[in-house]
Amino acid sequence: MHRNLKIKLVLFFFLLFATIGFAILFPRLTLPFGFAYIVYLIFKPLTSLLTTGTKKQRFFFFSLFILGVSFSLFPLFAAFYNMDADFSKFSAQLPEIQKNLQDKYFVFKVYIFEKFGYRLNIDPVTFMIKKLEQGGSLLLSLVPNLLSSFFEWLLLVPMFLFFLFFQSKKFGAKFLKAIPNSIFEKTYVLFSQFNAKFGQYIIAKFIESTILGTFVTLGLLLIGFPYPFILGFVAGVTNILPYIGPLIGIIPAVLVALLSNDPNISMLALGLIYLIANLIDMVLVFPLLVSKVVDLNPIIVVVSVIVGSQVGGVVGMIVIIPFIAFFKLLFEEIYKDLSVQL
Amino acid sequence: MSYEKDIMDKVEKGESIPDKLDIPILKFLWDASPLSFANKDTTYSFFKKVSVLNSFSDNEIRLFTKFLHKREFIANEVIFRQGDSGYGFYFIYDGSVDIYANHLNNSQDHGDFVIRLERRQYFGEMGLLEDFNRRSATVIAHENTVLLGIFKPDLDRMLELYPVLGAKFLRETALIMANRMGQLTREVMSLKKKVKDLEKRV
Repeated sequence: MHRNLKIKLVLFFFLLFATIGFAILFPRLTLPFGFAYIVYLIFKPLTSLLTTGTKKQRFFFFSLFILGVSFSLFPLFAAFYNMDADFSKFSAQLPEIQKNLQDKYFVFKVYIFEKFGYRLNIDPVTFMIKKLEQGGSLLLSLVPNLLSSFFEWLLLVPMFLFFLFFQSKKFGAKFLKAIPNSIFEKTYVLFSQFNAKFGQYIIAKFIESTILGTFVTLGLLLIGFPYPFILGFVAGVTNILPYIGPLIGIIPAVLVALLSNDPNISMLALGLIYLIANLIDMVLVFPLLVSKVVDLNPIIVVVSVIVGSQVGGVVGMIVIIPFIAFFKLLFEEIYKDLSVQL
Repeated sequence: MSYEKDIMDKVEKGESIPDKLDIPILKFLWDASPLSFANKDTTYSFFKKVSVLNSFSDNEIRLFTKFLHKREFIANEVIFRQGDSGYGFYFIYDGSVDIYANHLNNSQDHGDFVIRLERRQYFGEMGLLEDFNRRSATVIAHENTVLLGIFKPDLDRMLELYPVLGAKFLRETALIMANRMGQLTREVMSLKKKVKDLEKRV
């Protein structure tokens, strides 16, 4: 290989690893950028509709986009407004819940004493409430930090979004130009495949979670269960996590059902709502939207989620799947290459 | 095919030509003008003269160039080797390339020289169409060369954003393949005939 070509290759890999190192060393920049990138991927299909086609088509899609945004923002505002109301209701009911819990625990203690003659001396309810109060004050002490990160994100995310929507094409072209000829074809194809897989996965998960969250909210509203908007939102968000997400999503609802004193609340109805919503997700939404994008063995998915949670917490659990799908693709390519060379 | 060439073909074949020559005069003057965009040495003017894209309109060529990657190679630089995975189709924008066949793995020798391709010629179309393509020859830049390449992800994007343009380009690429297949069939037939003649003599 020519000396200049070798230097170009070394320089390219140096820049690549330096960028990865920078991303790992400065999570305060990497995390908002990652968030902005996810938002960009969700809205990217719309931008191609708005920038291609004839003037009439573009005008049509732009009007459709504005209409869509207006219609989707209204329920979102309504949901947030109701979530706020749900939170206030929950705070107001906290002393009542505490009393209810203590009453139930007292009944349990009496039952144990009558049945087994054993007196329970521990008081887990007071302990739990004390811990919750401590947690609350700790959260309050963290508020200034959280607020400063929030304002940092408020500044950085729109800035990164602007870059991604308006400058990423130019930046991408420059990046592609820097790739040495000897590895260009493969790098470009793999990079495009990864981008496509990641984008499709994020959009599919976003749609899947929205559908599931809507179904849960509607179901809870139908049976008159308290806090339907918060619980629907939680079910939607936790559903992003594969396999374990739906299980985590039902826990707050079960807790609310256990803690409230309302005789109208039926555990069976609650279980049925979550079951139906998850069945719709498993039978219809997941096979149509996500499975084609991921195409991984369920055991690999579960192991990946555990590894992802160890490495990067909740974010790691979410992004590990498209990464594993990409590595599968990469290894397949390498294997094919090796099998030809043998 | 241009209107002028169509008329010339008819004259050569002795067919009747229309009484009135209906040349769009404004288009002619525009194209002939030294200020015309098409006369400048741009990728657009380059593709106006590439035979594969004859059926493309001016706007389609303009859109097509958006999906291309300009790659610069120094003299004797390997563009790809026989057996490499192929994902792209290249047009020679400037310079020339040499094609070698029968390259042996791990050997410094490029193999047997087959042909030299010059400006406006193209190679590697199989890489764009086949699902898992292996390059059938080694291509090396004969001099400092500039190539315009289109790769699988670009074709996918083109089909998604401009389906008509994508379909047209695919049709042209399929035509190139069909022509090459035709040539190959003719060569095989002639080789078979030669083998038969030799067998008879023996």
